[in-house]
Amino acid sequence: MPDATENLIAGLVDNLKPVVPLRKRAGMILAVLALTAGALGMIGLVGMRADLRSGQPDPMALIAAGLFLVLALASFWAVVDMARPYVGVRREGWGWTALMAGVLPVAAIVLLGMNWLHGQPMPLELDGWNCLRFGLGWGLLSAAVQVWWLRRGAPSRPERAGLLVGVGAGAAGIFAVSLYCPHSDLVHIGVWHGLTVIVAGLLGRIAVPRLIAW
Amino acid sequence: MIADDATLTRLAGLAQQGDKAAYAALLGAARHWLSRYYRRRVMPDQLDDLVQESLLSVHRKLASYDPSRPFAPWLAAIARYRFVDHLRLVYRRAEDELDNDLQAGNSDEPAIVARISLERLFEALPAAQQQAIELVKISGLSISEASASTGQSESLIKVNIHRGIKRLAALVERG
Repeated sequence: MPDATENLIAGLVDNLKPVVPLRKRAGMILAVLALTAGALGMIGLVGMRADLRSGQPDPMALIAAGLFLVLALASFWAVVDMARPYVGVRREGWGWTALMAGVLPVAAIVLLGMNWLHGQPMPLELDGWNCLRFGLGWGLLSAAVQVWWLRRGAPSRPERAGLLVGVGAGAAGIFAVSLYCPHSDLVHIGVWHGLTVIVAGLLGRIAVPRLIAW
Repeated sequence: MIADDATLTRLAGLAQQGDKAAYAALLGAARHWLSRYYRRRVMPDQLDDLVQESLLSVHRKLASYDPSRPFAPWLAAIARYRFVDHLRLVYRRAEDELDNDLQAGNSDEPAIVARISLERLFEALPAAQQQAIELVKISGLSISEASASTGQSESLIKVNIHRGIKRLAALVERG
């Protein structure tokens, strides 16, 4: 007489339908589309920085936007791969990219500290709050796509996946904001733009695991 | 008999295309693999449930298998996720019962953690955490009895249980 597990197997076999394996390339295309839609949405809504419009971008702003773009892509790559679980696979590339982008907030803090030590404290302009809000808002689009992709797959480390979704979404969001934000100074970019990625990472770490549990 | 990984990889690829005979063979082999995997980790009365939950996960998440890669590491990842999930449930239940016990002063709580095979994992815990878990969660002593027996304060016993079980879960999660 078949036991319960044999009955279960028979039922699963009966219910088998062909499935299309998750392809990493498809996941990346979706994530990049979400990032692009966010950037275009931002430009469509509030316009583009004057220096970008004129074709003479500020070097500092350009490098910072590039770093956040690379961080977003590296995080997407790791998240998309996480949907396909494998024991023994290491996904650490995003960490090095995050460290590289982390130079911006660290340099900003060092600059603030040094100026304060020399009796010339630099004011932290509070309009950066808008960058943070818009960065998180536009990042939601990327976050939604990544969560949807992970729900189709089987992420075996949901907390790590949540953190990465947040970092990727925050970096994508702040990249979109960078195309508009008129600031080019290290302090503004390092503090407010960097903070956006950190806050998004924390939010992702807290909120995403329960959305992708299976 | 358990098929080799090349065979399982081929069967999994066919199963993704809807081949029911290949899928039946794959699930049969997966069942054997999962039984061996969990036998060393859980008590016999939990074995079938975990194997069945894992087979359901294999079925639901078949699309997440990449047919260009070996099958065994994918199945191992599914098994590990289900096992960690199982431990989390045990941990949550144990923590709830510990809280209830402290509020009610009841020392007769069932030693849930004692039902898991933890011998090897226990070796990685500091002595104070081992002692707290053994006395309260396995031997069934109350917090105050364990405190009197070990010389640790009652709050320290609770902290050591909490940290010990959390550390066990982390050890298992690392594989």
